[in-house]
Amino acid sequence: MKTVIKIEDLHFKYPKKSVFAGLSIEVKEGDFVCIAGPNGAGKTTLLNLLCGLLRPISGSIKIDADPVKSYSAKKLAQKIAVVRQEFVPVFDFTVTEMVSMARTPYLGTFGFESKVDKELIAEALEMTDTAQFASRLLAEISGGERQRVFIARALAQNTAILLLDEPTTFLDLKHQVRIYDLLKKMQLEKGKTIVAVTHDINLAAQYCDETLLLGPDTTYRHGRTGDVFSTEQIEKVFAVRTFTGRVGKEKFFLPLGKFAKDSAAINPNTKGDTKNNTPSLSP
Amino acid sequence: MAQILTSKKLLHNLTICLLILAVVMCLCTFVGSQRISLLKALKGPGQSPGYNIDYEIFIIRLKRVILAAIVGAALAASGVILQALLRNPLADPYILGISSGAGLGAVIAVLSGITFTFAAGSPMAVFAFCGSILTITLVWYIGKSAAKSQLTSLLLAGVVVNAFFSAVIMFLTSIAKSDQLRTTIYWLMGNLTDKSSPVLIIASVSVIAGITLMFTLCNKLNAMTLGDQEAHALGVNIPRVRLIAFAVSAFITSVAVSLSGLIGFVGLIVPHAVRITFGPDHRQLLPLSAIAGALFLIMADTAARSLFGQEQLPVGVITAIAGGPFFLVLLAKYSRKVSWLK
Amino acid sequence: MKKIAISLIISISICVAIAIIANHYKNTPKNAPVKKIPQRIVTLAPNLTEIAFGLGLGDKIAAVSSDSDYPPAAKQKPTVGSFWQPDLESIIASRPDLVISLWFEQQKAIAESLSRLGIDTIILRIEKIEHLFDAIKKIGDATNCTKQAEELTEKIRKQIEAVRLKCASSKKPRVLWVVQTEPLRIGGRDTFLNELIEIAGGENAVGFTLQKYPQIGTEQLLSCNADVIIQSAMSSENIEAQQKTAELFWAKKNSLPAVKNKNIFVVNADLVQRLGPRLPHGIEIIAACLHPEILEK
Repeated sequence: MKTVIKIEDLHFKYPKKSVFAGLSIEVKEGDFVCIAGPNGAGKTTLLNLLCGLLRPISGSIKIDADPVKSYSAKKLAQKIAVVRQEFVPVFDFTVTEMVSMARTPYLGTFGFESKVDKELIAEALEMTDTAQFASRLLAEISGGERQRVFIARALAQNTAILLLDEPTTFLDLKHQVRIYDLLKKMQLEKGKTIVAVTHDINLAAQYCDETLLLGPDTTYRHGRTGDVFSTEQIEKVFAVRTFTGRVGKEKFFLPLGKFAKDSAAINPNTKGDTKNNTPSLSP
Repeated sequence: MAQILTSKKLLHNLTICLLILAVVMCLCTFVGSQRISLLKALKGPGQSPGYNIDYEIFIIRLKRVILAAIVGAALAASGVILQALLRNPLADPYILGISSGAGLGAVIAVLSGITFTFAAGSPMAVFAFCGSILTITLVWYIGKSAAKSQLTSLLLAGVVVNAFFSAVIMFLTSIAKSDQLRTTIYWLMGNLTDKSSPVLIIASVSVIAGITLMFTLCNKLNAMTLGDQEAHALGVNIPRVRLIAFAVSAFITSVAVSLSGLIGFVGLIVPHAVRITFGPDHRQLLPLSAIAGALFLIMADTAARSLFGQEQLPVGVITAIAGGPFFLVLLAKYSRKVSWLK
Repeated sequence: MKKIAISLIISISICVAIAIIANHYKNTPKNAPVKKIPQRIVTLAPNLTEIAFGLGLGDKIAAVSSDSDYPPAAKQKPTVGSFWQPDLESIIASRPDLVISLWFEQQKAIAESLSRLGIDTIILRIEKIEHLFDAIKKIGDATNCTKQAEELTEKIRKQIEAVRLKCASSKKPRVLWVVQTEPLRIGGRDTFLNELIEIAGGENAVGFTLQKYPQIGTEQLLSCNADVIIQSAMSSENIEAQQKTAELFWAKKNSLPAVKNKNIFVVNADLVQRLGPRLPHGIEIIAACLHPEILEK
């Protein structure tokens, strides 16, 4: 499998804080990678480094074997599409207008969409099930629908790589699942490489093949999601007591606060301790 | 897909608007304090001045209508560009220091008593042009050198420079001879007096060239209204587009101001009116706003110079008095579409 | 780069098209006309109108500015807009062969437009009394009234001298000429108002100032010891009402000799401040304010 993203010995820091000190990972074509970690660990920073908004202090980031800094903004946009938090723009664009902006890096001198562009836009609207409100204003649809529109835009951009920054914050359960289903569909049907920053480790565990878990103090773990997400890792990285449960092959993680019901009865660090009357323990 | 702007649709809208513009221009050359007849006017100039009054007045009016068209188009287009660049619906062409820069130039021209004419343009026009270009360059560099958000710094720099230069203007006019002062104020209030043909041609070419150049960047401008991160993700070279757009806006506004003083309202409101009617896609918004601005100012100026016979009102008065209520009606009728007011 | 090239080509072609059209209709007088004596004169300011009438050009005047109110015959003439903003079209419609204008921006621009059309114009700067005599001479030369111009100039000079002599011997009263009350602005030493004061045998109560019409503060006002206050009327109607208002306004500042002795005079600016042939009459009015004991009011 081809390597599409290669990060080698990445160093980056903000004035008072070192974020990465030697991060090296590879992302292969067609992977669905999640970037998880506590606030401030550098998830969004990594995303910004990947799409060229930030420059590393040392080390390299290569997209398709060329360093990010060698790409012009236009060429980079033809390789990477970014989806961030949905928002309502200052000027009232319609859904179709917003999705058609995806073709900006491909348009000619006078900037009008060709037949190919229009087909891609139509397809993107169909795939994300947003064609039904194609002529509505972005301000008129709900947050979940808007997020799908932004994903449609990323789709229409027709790139090999899709970067997402917490695409499901503020969305309800149904929409969260729908978005991830959609992303998975794009990975499986279109062969896209997807890198998603997320706070929701359970969803990530369900959908993502690989995980990059960023810990405090520039530590990190990278590997298959099943391997990376373990109770001790999560407790260490997120500094919170966690209950790990199992439903069939799916693992789920529940953070435990002081007021969690029966929390005293649940001792998540027992490994197969059958004296307790709690069901299904063990990672 | 009906909603995407196609080149066909744009050409269609553009042609209709240009036709309307042409018709209005023709009609307005027949309105004025004197009555003239088209047939007599078409007979041509004749041997000596005064031979064919109808022709002479016709030419004067035609030049004035063309002047109003250029200034209106420049101001409206500039308003569109700045509102997009600053992501601020309240931006007008003068927001970044041009008004006080032009005023300062005009005041200096009058005080210095220089009487040369440049290509038949008056010294006040030339100095005002230089004043506004220099001021906006200053504002740009102040904005650029700020560490954080360039847009906020630009706005702040513009406000501060405007205030500072306005104070300098007040100081200079207070030590000026009183009749000169009145002259400058009158000039700054906005006026469309007769200009020579070379000046008109240079101005038209400049403004049309600027707008055409800007047109090629309009799809990128669309992306830029979404924010820097989004625009970057869509492949826009933000510093380059911002610089070119800013330079074009500054240039055509300075041309407009040097021709006509500070005519307000057009640059702020015409883009909104067009946006409400045709949508925010800048590939359409820019050319149609330019035409709408031209139309608006032609009609306002025609009213200003013919409402009271020989007395001429300052055209800025008409733009605000007529434009205001018209825009409010437009706003009320289409208010569902203006989401940022909710 | 391709984009810029395309836009440049488009704009240049548009420019060429316009240039061709503009050239086709360019107004070029075929033969430069021999300098004829102007038969249709348009004056753009009241004082210019008065000068033209004073030179005996009354029936050659085709139109005047709307505020030209003297002599009475001027009020019968067609008008071409106010002195601040003359109307180009009306001027052209009057078919002038000579237009006389002042030098400030609005009038100068009109004059330039007119000369582009091939109409003769004279632009005159009249800010002081000497400029008035220059202007009369220039107008006289342009209208073949050189002799009348000399006579008019002589007459005005003589009348001014006469007034000057009458007022010369007596003590010089300190005069404050107020052009605006709010904020308080006065005519300084470098103005033609000051010339009037000096000819009428007075002295400006305020010394040399940077500005011609400076704003003065209460301190300077109270220490200037003005013997006479002259105030320019806001409008030429209802001078008596304005006089009463002025007296009320100044009543509070009764440390000034002018106020104590009730030497406050509101004068009609159209009469007194118009730099035209009636200047001596205006000076006499001022002189009467300054030296009531010498002249009969």
